Amino acid sequence: MLNLIQDTIVHAEPQTLGAASQGAGHAHGQTDWSVAAIVALPLLACVLTGLCAALRVKSKLPAWLTVASLAGAFALTAKTFAAHFMGAESHAFVVHVFDWVTFSWAADVHAQGPQTNELVANFAFYLDSLSALWMLFVTGLATLIALYASEYMSHDQGPGYCRFFAAFSLFVFSMACLVMADNLLLLYLGWEGVGLCSYLLIGYFYKKPSAVAAAKKAFIINRIGDLFLAMGVMLIFVQFGTVEYSVLFEKAKPYIELARAGNFAQIPFVVKLIPCLLMGGAFGKSAQLPLYVWLPDAMEGPTPVSALIHAATMVTAGVFLIARTYPLFLLSEVALPAVAWVGALTALLSATIGMAQFDIKRIMAYSTVSQLGYMFCGLAVLSPSGGVFHVVTHAFFKALLFLCCGAVMHGFAGQLDLRKLSGVMKMPGWRVVGFGMLIGCLNLAGFPLTAGYFSKDMILAEAFVTPGTAVIGWILLLTAGLTAYYTFRVFFRVFVGPVAYEMGDEHHGADHGHDHEHGHGQGHGHAKDHGGGDGGHHQPHAPGWAINTVLATLAVLSLAATGLYFVGGDHGAVARLVDQSSAGFHSPLAHHESGAGQAPDHGAAAGAGRASGHAVVSYVPEFVRARAHQGEVHAGTFFGADPHKAMYFVSAGVGAVGIFVAFWLHLAGRKTAAASRADALLPALGPLPGWAQGKWYVDEFYDFLVRKPLWVLSHILYLIDSYLVDGLVDFVGAAPKAAGKVIRPSQSGELHGYALGMAGGAVILIVIVALVAT
Amino acid sequence: MSLMAVLAQAGSPAPMAASTLAHYLLVSALLLVIGLIGFVTRRNLIIMFLCTELMFQAAGLAAVAFGRYHLNLTGQTLVIFILTVAAAEAAMALALVVLLFRRKESLNAEEWQDLKG
Amino acid sequence: MGELIHPFIVYGFCVLGGAAVCLALPRGGRSPQVLGALAGALIAGLALLALAIKFAPVLPNVYFYIFSLIGVGAALRVITHPRPVYAALYFILTVISTGGLFVLLSAEFMAFALIIVYAGAILITYLFVIMLATQAPQEDQTEVLASYDTRAREPVAASVIGFLLLAVLTTLFFRGVDRLPAPGASDDQALLAEMPRKVETSLRVAGLLREGETVREIDTALGVVRVASGESLREIPRAEWPEGLSVSNVEALGFNLLREHPGAIEIAGVILLMAMLGAVVLSRKQVEMDEEAKRRQAQKLGQTTGGISDVTGPIGGES
Repeated sequence: MLNLIQDTIVHAEPQTLGAASQGAGHAHGQTDWSVAAIVALPLLACVLTGLCAALRVKSKLPAWLTVASLAGAFALTAKTFAAHFMGAESHAFVVHVFDWVTFSWAADVHAQGPQTNELVANFAFYLDSLSALWMLFVTGLATLIALYASEYMSHDQGPGYCRFFAAFSLFVFSMACLVMADNLLLLYLGWEGVGLCSYLLIGYFYKKPSAVAAAKKAFIINRIGDLFLAMGVMLIFVQFGTVEYSVLFEKAKPYIELARAGNFAQIPFVVKLIPCLLMGGAFGKSAQLPLYVWLPDAMEGPTPVSALIHAATMVTAGVFLIARTYPLFLLSEVALPAVAWVGALTALLSATIGMAQFDIKRIMAYSTVSQLGYMFCGLAVLSPSGGVFHVVTHAFFKALLFLCCGAVMHGFAGQLDLRKLSGVMKMPGWRVVGFGMLIGCLNLAGFPLTAGYFSKDMILAEAFVTPGTAVIGWILLLTAGLTAYYTFRVFFRVFVGPVAYEMGDEHHGADHGHDHEHGHGQGHGHAKDHGGGDGGHHQPHAPGWAINTVLATLAVLSLAATGLYFVGGDHGAVARLVDQSSAGFHSPLAHHESGAGQAPDHGAAAGAGRASGHAVVSYVPEFVRARAHQGEVHAGTFFGADPHKAMYFVSAGVGAVGIFVAFWLHLAGRKTAAASRADALLPALGPLPGWAQGKWYVDEFYDFLVRKPLWVLSHILYLIDSYLVDGLVDFVGAAPKAAGKVIRPSQSGELHGYALGMAGGAVILIVIVALVAT
Repeated sequence: MSLMAVLAQAGSPAPMAASTLAHYLLVSALLLVIGLIGFVTRRNLIIMFLCTELMFQAAGLAAVAFGRYHLNLTGQTLVIFILTVAAAEAAMALALVVLLFRRKESLNAEEWQDLKG
Repeated sequence: MGELIHPFIVYGFCVLGGAAVCLALPRGGRSPQVLGALAGALIAGLALLALAIKFAPVLPNVYFYIFSLIGVGAALRVITHPRPVYAALYFILTVISTGGLFVLLSAEFMAFALIIVYAGAILITYLFVIMLATQAPQEDQTEVLASYDTRAREPVAASVIGFLLLAVLTTLFFRGVDRLPAPGASDDQALLAEMPRKVETSLRVAGLLREGETVREIDTALGVVRVASGESLREIPRAEWPEGLSVSNVEALGFNLLREHPGAIEIAGVILLMAMLGAVVLSRKQVEMDEEAKRRQAQKLGQTTGGISDVTGPIGGES
């Protein structure tokens, strides 16, 4: 099984162009320029939109350029995917575009171990089923959301419009680099690139202080994670002498063998440290527990950005990183448990916060954090296919949810408070949005037979299957109920019930379509044209064709994602794709039931190891090893039943309870938009709802823990600087001045004084001469 | 023998004792110091220049005395140049003094402090 | 070491002399100026006397003491006399006594040149300038001394510095003169060989040359002049030479000047030319009176002659 990657990786040589055959299962290729174009097209779009900005284009041209480029990228991705990864068997291949970084240096005679003395990081793309899958939904969603944004951002046509789409395209480019990178350095480039674009787009409304603050917060917190990632990459290079995946996995092989035998003690500490550092990077980018606080604030950006970057794609980069370097995570007995616990706690915590929020976009943000926790748990409980499947389904339905929220926000002039909106679905022109929302909510809540239901079930079931992670499973199950509750709380409050609304204070609608000059100087010029307080008499305007088309497409796709579970083998096509990638080759429990069936693909030895169930033990982290060593390893059960089967019913039940509670509290008998039955229940819960609404005061805690000490320290340093350092500098400047002041009177301008001084000098000189001469 | 011959030990000058030289040098030093003190203490520009002339005298006397001691005429030649320079200095300095006096109607050297630091 | 005089005695004299000079400097009003001058002269005399007592066997000519005292005393008066004219006249006295000292040093030519050039030319220039640059006394003023003439500036500091310099210098002298190399014997008559015509004239005037004889060779080493008349050669020994046949100071000086310092002569010529040009340029320059000086003058005029105060009124009004 280990050999799989090695054997199938073929470094594409440009020289062999034409000689190679383009078989579906055979990836022996040349530089596949269509693959390079997947990356190049978004970059081209970025350049062109930048050009539009330079030419002061006021039309929707940047949007169409972006949509066309991204659609082209999506088409190429689909073509590549169809050509290489549709079959039962797929092979990873590398597309070399150009040499990027090549360093070599003299051999260090004191170096220990096999050291290669060069650093090679080519601008090359490593395409396997994982990256292809990822690129498929990244480019697809990006195309749809760009189309959506073409209408959503239309109030800002002009420089801002160009800026938005330039950053948008740049984001897709960076994401493509991240996902398709052949080495960790290129991944890091994409990693930082998406971080930059995230910063640029969160701070899109740069005249709004909260947006600027949110952008800075996101950027700075991401820096912490990025530092860990950078250290991890460096450590990988130090330890393995390479940053290229194919070589890296080959080099890591001996340690993987050790881990398989359960000899974690023999694996060097440095190697075990690598996954922990990578984990830190993943937590930063994917908004997990210590570092999640930036994501809810990131909702200050335009909604399409929230949908694409902060829900569907960028925040899943952490999941991708772990999936990509999954073999390394198996080398440490603490890395995966840590990921599991962090993911589970994040899921629970953010779900509780989401329950108490009133801003629907913010609720969606917390649900994103929560679902990301699910994905991490999926990876950590040895079900990478479950985690990745959840990434895919979540990408669709969460994008759908965000875009629906965005449509509401767009139509109601920035109104996002669920206490001020009700019955939106019954208004004319809002039917598509309402149904889109419903489908998204059903998915998120894990309603039976939706895609979200199946992907969540995979994770939940594996949590109970994998020995020792049942606690994680229970937490996740609880979270599933909470998720269903807060999801349908939004739906029941906003989209159904009595029709009532209150316009927001952002005035998108009235001047929409007018020939309104949006200069840069006006900035966010559509806002506050009519003052803040009198929004009530403006009519909401229903979304136009672009938004409706996108919402409908996404709704269909969200539903269609269910199909992925039923086609293409056991546990669906996604599981198959994941198994064929780097994330798959040590996730035995994910398909232990069908291990024999998969074995022929992977080599006899690996297949046998997996089928016997012994291989499982080796990769179960330390906290279950005790049980593993008792002898016969048995997969966990859910009260004696097979968790996979049980979960179909249990999670459906939990979801139904959550939905019913939401219905009872927020829809049944509700007469107004503002008040609901839940209000009566709140006092009974004591201070908890307030705390949850205050996000458990994590921000304040961080503020106290990090910002305040830094503030104090910086002021101390400021004092040191202004008094000590500046004092020294000033002293250097002032000393000659003071000396001059002392000496200056001697320059009286009087002849006599000078003569006297000269005579005195002569005396001194003669005395010196006399002393020296005799 | 005229008085001059007596005074000048005319004919072949006898070698001079070192102590005699010291006498002359003492007088020369006294003149120099008095000139210096005068230059520093007096405010009248003309008297200041007179004091410089005093110092020239001292220098000339020392030069001639040394020349006499060494039976060398260069000392006297030096006095010729001292005279020359003194004359040139007097011409220039006095012309300047006249101009300065016209400017301020005063010979006080302390009136001129434009180079004060 | 054979110091001529004990250094502490020298320093003592220096201190006393400094105090005396300090006293002698003008202070405006009544000051012990005369006392200081007398004390100064007394101390100088004492100092010279001390030297004289110590070196009685090799005393310099008595005229040395006379001229020295006159010169130093006159120099003291130059710097202490409040009236510039008197100071200039005392300076002449100093120059004359210096000339006397030059004569004692066998530098007759320089002595007279000094007196002629200094006392005759330079000092006259000074006197002219003093006259040019002195304000005419007012009608009611009997005293014409300007305040800057009657008050010395920082007499104590100047005296201290000055006599410190003197102490250092005398220390050096008295220490150093002993070690000077003894003067070598000089043949001052050697220059006669360069001046055959002078020798011939002198001999002829003395009647030592017969008709038709000319000086053929002058051998100063042997002290003979060989004269020749046709074929016959005759020697005139030094003993027969007339009294005037010797190299005078001015001749020797001329030889020294022109033979050994031709470059310096050129430079001196240039200096003199420049001084002349400078003086011409400066004296032609029109100088505007200073604003403050104008105001002062106007004030003075207004005070003395009240009638024209209205003419200078605007200027006075400004102040």
